[in-house]
Amino acid sequence: MTHDVSRRAVLKAVFGSAIATPLLASCGALVPASSGPGSISVHTQLSGAVAGAQVFSDVVAAYRRRTGRIVAQLKNGSDLPIVFETSTLAGKQADVAIVNMMGRTLGWTDAGATIPVTDLLDAWDLRDKILPEAVAEWTDDEGRLRAFPFTRTNWPVSFNTGLLEEAGVEVPTTSDELIAVADALRSKGIGPVTVGGSDWSGQKLFLQILQGFVSQEEARTVFSTGKLSESAGAVAGVEHFVMLRDAGVFVDDVQGYTSDSELTQFNTRKAAIVPAMSSALALVPNERAKEVTVGGWPVPSSGGVLAHPSVIKSYNGHGIWISENGADKLDLIKPFVQDLYSDEVTDAFVLGSGRDMNRVTDTVSQDFPLVAQASRLTDDDVTPVMLPDLLIPDSVFEPMIKVTAMAYGSSASAARIVDAFEKSYDAA
Amino acid sequence: MARRTTTLPMRDRIGSITSGTLAWIYAALLIVPFYYFIVSSFKDNEQIFESPLSLPTTWDLSNFVTAIDQADLWLAIANSVLTTLAALVLTLVLALPASFALARARGRAGKVVEGVFALGFLIPSFAALFPTFLLAAALGLFHTRTFVVFLLPATALPLSIVILTSFMRTIPRELEEAASMDGATSLQVLRQVYLPICIPGIATVLLLNFLSFWNAYLYPLILIGPDTAQRTIQVALPTLKVDAGTDYGVLMAGTLFTLLPVYLVYTVLQRQMQRALLSGAVKG
Repeated sequence: MTHDVSRRAVLKAVFGSAIATPLLASCGALVPASSGPGSISVHTQLSGAVAGAQVFSDVVAAYRRRTGRIVAQLKNGSDLPIVFETSTLAGKQADVAIVNMMGRTLGWTDAGATIPVTDLLDAWDLRDKILPEAVAEWTDDEGRLRAFPFTRTNWPVSFNTGLLEEAGVEVPTTSDELIAVADALRSKGIGPVTVGGSDWSGQKLFLQILQGFVSQEEARTVFSTGKLSESAGAVAGVEHFVMLRDAGVFVDDVQGYTSDSELTQFNTRKAAIVPAMSSALALVPNERAKEVTVGGWPVPSSGGVLAHPSVIKSYNGHGIWISENGADKLDLIKPFVQDLYSDEVTDAFVLGSGRDMNRVTDTVSQDFPLVAQASRLTDDDVTPVMLPDLLIPDSVFEPMIKVTAMAYGSSASAARIVDAFEKSYDAA
Repeated sequence: MARRTTTLPMRDRIGSITSGTLAWIYAALLIVPFYYFIVSSFKDNEQIFESPLSLPTTWDLSNFVTAIDQADLWLAIANSVLTTLAALVLTLVLALPASFALARARGRAGKVVEGVFALGFLIPSFAALFPTFLLAAALGLFHTRTFVVFLLPATALPLSIVILTSFMRTIPRELEEAASMDGATSLQVLRQVYLPICIPGIATVLLLNFLSFWNAYLYPLILIGPDTAQRTIQVALPTLKVDAGTDYGVLMAGTLFTLLPVYLVYTVLQRQMQRALLSGAVKG
């Protein structure tokens, strides 16, 4: 009896589903949102848990309601570039991609995957609305504007003044002060500087510390060639990093931390100092933000070239790229992009998500106090240094992060770090 | 029962205690991560890192709501269910008759065909990605669920056929001969003789393939694409992770949505498999 029931159930399931499968798989409620005539598709990294994702969805929905035009949203996180590229190979890429400019995307203009938007900047009346520095940063060596610069990034250092007070110290502005602060914090059982030693966040801080000893022009050469040993300043920067590390400035086992765990350590008061980009500052809980002040990375007490503590300042956040497919729909894309640079949308991003925008605006974040603090830092407070992502060849990124992870380990000498750093460029 | 225990020789008692202890340790190894997932999905980052194994202070469902909203999880779950079920059905529809034929084959041709299926194990999935992508593009099925529904069974057939063929070979030929003498056709023999006895094999194939299909990431990512109306839960989940400042409570809540069906299917099929094994043993 049991067998009869089982057999019937299996057979019904098999043959019933065999008929239903093609029907279900090709139609039904889950209709693909891919664009057709009169509509555009936007492949965006502003999705999921990313700061500004909800604002972007709301902006798109409002645009659809107002204009009656269809904008299909395709969403990915960090895997957007690879998905966009394979879609391009099949000729099914989205009309617009909203993604940052690093790694794979740096080659899109050259490869023809996306079109330069240099001429569209004036034709669409956007030049006056976008920060000139942003346009410069998004323009390649051949004078082509790769994409419309949309969001940008500040990379200040956050100090938990509550924890510093517990340790009886103040916000450090020089490396000697930083070492003293680290000692005081450690004596109270509080971690000093936390950073993702094993990933890109640790790499950024390492390169920021190096820039304390080289001019911006020299830094360009060093980061594009990798020849640290040919720059006395860069070698001094590595030695300075090793000195700070050996003095216990970083939390224990820092080489194992990631960009996620550094922020969690900071938010849970396990560490007092963290260098974090502005989009991450927007995620610091309000109760923690109340006891935090933002500033720059302390200048070297001797031998440095910076006037003030350093902050990585970059106009490289998300850009609005137009694909080959999109080139045929410029009349549909133009009003959408113009809408994204409207005052209302800019305010929505700044006020609603704490995003730093490349749009010229006086609006300052109100509900995201740390982002607001960071945006108010002037050249009298901090010295901006570069985000070297555009100079480092794509193939060097991962090998370099392995080197910086090794540098955060306790046993690596300056000479060994310099040697490994230069070798990481061999793959380029 | 107590009297029996006291009469056990010392060696057996030590063995019983050791095996019991190992069983409990193994159970803990399985349960602790699941418990951690569940309690973390009700906490914020601070609670997760401060007291990872403690119970949450509140049983607030906000992390689940956030996960669903941020990653469009309902759609993603529906797509995963649709894709997985369709692929499982197609796998069985193809594997059962193929295994039936191979199990009954006596000539060299059968061995050759079986060997060809076994060769499928030698193809690394990464190596097949680019040709598969080209095929999808050429067929006009790129960025559709349909292609993945056809692709997943193709990747699962070698293992499925090996398992089912070996099950079917254990069935005495006398049963088939008796059915044939009663006038049963080949299809009837498959349906009424082989299938009931092969339930354990079918359950095993379903279980293994469900895990593989449900957890597939790379192929659905590339071939189905980023459209929220089509993407699977494994493709949607990573959008809950950000470069810096991931809310792990939300991530855990989202991950539970992908873990629960696995536990559910495993529990259901495991019971069916045991029942079918007992039933098959009695009949056999």
